[in-house]
Amino acid sequence: MSIALRGVVKSYGRTTALDGLDLDVRDGEFFCLLGPSGAGKTTTLKAVAGLERPEAGTIEIDGRDMRDVEPYDRGVAMCFESYALYPHRSVYDNLVSPLRSPRHRLPPAEARDRVDTVAGLLGIGDLLDRMPGRLSNGQRQRVALGRVLVRPARAFLLDEPLSHLDAKLRQQMRAELKAIGDVRRTTTLYVTHDSVEALALGDRIGVIRDGRIVQTGTREDIWYRPYDTEVARAFGRPRINLLPGTVTEAGRFRSADGAFELPLPVRAAPGTEVLAGVRPRDVSLTGDGHRLPGTVYVTEVLGRSVEVTVRIGAQALSLVADRAEVAGLRPDDPVRPAVRPENLLLFEADRPHGPGRRIGRR
Amino acid sequence: MRKRLWGWLADAALLLYFVFALFPVAWMLILSLKPADQLFSTYFSFTPTLDAYRTVLGDDEGIPFVRFFVNSLVVSLGAVALSLVVGLPAAYASARWRFKGSEHLMFTLLSFRFAPELTVIIPLFVLYQKLGLFDTYAGMVWVLQLVTLPLVVWIMRSYFADLTPELEQAALLDGYTRRQAFFKVALPLVRPGIAAVSLLAFIFAWNNFVFPLILTSHEAQTVTVGALSFLGGDRPKYHLTAAAALISVVPPLLLALTIQRYLVRGLSFGAVKS
Repeated sequence: MSIALRGVVKSYGRTTALDGLDLDVRDGEFFCLLGPSGAGKTTTLKAVAGLERPEAGTIEIDGRDMRDVEPYDRGVAMCFESYALYPHRSVYDNLVSPLRSPRHRLPPAEARDRVDTVAGLLGIGDLLDRMPGRLSNGQRQRVALGRVLVRPARAFLLDEPLSHLDAKLRQQMRAELKAIGDVRRTTTLYVTHDSVEALALGDRIGVIRDGRIVQTGTREDIWYRPYDTEVARAFGRPRINLLPGTVTEAGRFRSADGAFELPLPVRAAPGTEVLAGVRPRDVSLTGDGHRLPGTVYVTEVLGRSVEVTVRIGAQALSLVADRAEVAGLRPDDPVRPAVRPENLLLFEADRPHGPGRRIGRR
Repeated sequence: MRKRLWGWLADAALLLYFVFALFPVAWMLILSLKPADQLFSTYFSFTPTLDAYRTVLGDDEGIPFVRFFVNSLVVSLGAVALSLVVGLPAAYASARWRFKGSEHLMFTLLSFRFAPELTVIIPLFVLYQKLGLFDTYAGMVWVLQLVTLPLVVWIMRSYFADLTPELEQAALLDGYTRRQAFFKVALPLVRPGIAAVSLLAFIFAWNNFVFPLILTSHEAQTVTVGALSFLGGDRPKYHLTAAAALISVVPPLLLALTIQRYLVRGLSFGAVKS
């Protein structure tokens, strides 16, 4: 099932939640909607589900306008960030609820089988007799997800379904979620604020900000061709280095304090104020590339690798290196990190009214 | 040591208050147990007797108290039931949806509560006479509902408003209709509220005096007015009034005791992240 939103506007009083949002989710796709809180992610899901009525714009499911279609006629299943479990019913009754409704009714025995299967899948098989009030947040979240998976659906709408699991379980569930047959075959619109989750799960990713989609694309698109500095900052830890400077007459990048120059992979008008972006993992201490003169500022162990922050003039450049490479490095030691020009991303300088956009194409 | 002293003082103060608050009740009880010829003695030694209760319940004075009692039960329960049937959907709607004029509507409903009953009683009397509602059950239920409905709507509205709409939204997506979402999800979750408001509404209806005083004469008269009939005649029979009043305290008291369980227990929320 495909979902299409065109120019959707929704506001609550004076705050605008969705500001002309356009979005296309293709049939069978796992689409991740990524954005900070308050960006309009949940409102988007609720608009698709029919729980919020947009003031303008259209929502189409499989090419059919959903304007006056009730939520229970849209054939979508939604997992709420607040879980929305029925507090007066046991876990089993919560899970079986869709299968007792007039739309998706199954004979009791079949329903029982279905619930058992899904509960086993999510590891909540031994909680079926409990009341939701006596579950941990992680368990509630899995029950909420289970209630979505038990029923047939043309599309799944999942609102941060893994956010309250502890780190280990989340990683495991993340891997399992996409392996679940129903999820693999069914169009899924997945909302998250976690860029790692979006990169791991999404066939495509949509970045949402202030009620608009900033960029949609595959993880490669988002990673290598971010629309602007904010998208670039949102993905990757440690964060991308964004070095301020200008474009010289010769088409090179010169840092704002004049400490160094870099060749650019793209053409930009001389004199433009720009930000040169390079991801910490693309800077090395030993590899080849354009070398920059600097001194060690601080090192931070990340596990097997180490994040090194290097001072170059007035700029700070962070890079990730192997532990062996940085053994014995102390603050103020001179180093010459190498940057390969093809790894550089060039952005317009950030302005007060918005982040700088990427310059040029690759 | 000082702490203990304060504790005693607090206990003493509480005791004093209880004596003060319960004295009228005790006085009524004593009065109702006195024989008719010792009614006006001010000392506490007398031969206790249940004669007053026997007289009141036996309709011996030509005053059908049992009938008044049944009337009170019927019209009070009727008013509460009507208020719940009409008020619960109204409270739900006003908590969930804002539509043009909805706030005015709610305010109008509330204004029934702060207009003194005496301001409307004469027109009501005339209307009831003309419509044939005077001294009937239907008429009493209808007028007491003016007292209980605003109570139900306003209290239940806040219960529904405290309930996150996402629970009903989840039900809609599970495949239930809006009506089913209301009955299966919203309504069971506000049960403690329904218990509380029913009790409150019942007490308000039961204790109402002005409406039955003016709008009934004999057929539909309630205990509040009926208990006073014992004071009429050549000699006021205070012991009978006291007995009647004490008997009429029983239903609200019993109701409060049975409902208390629901009031205190509440539902363990926590299925929704707050």
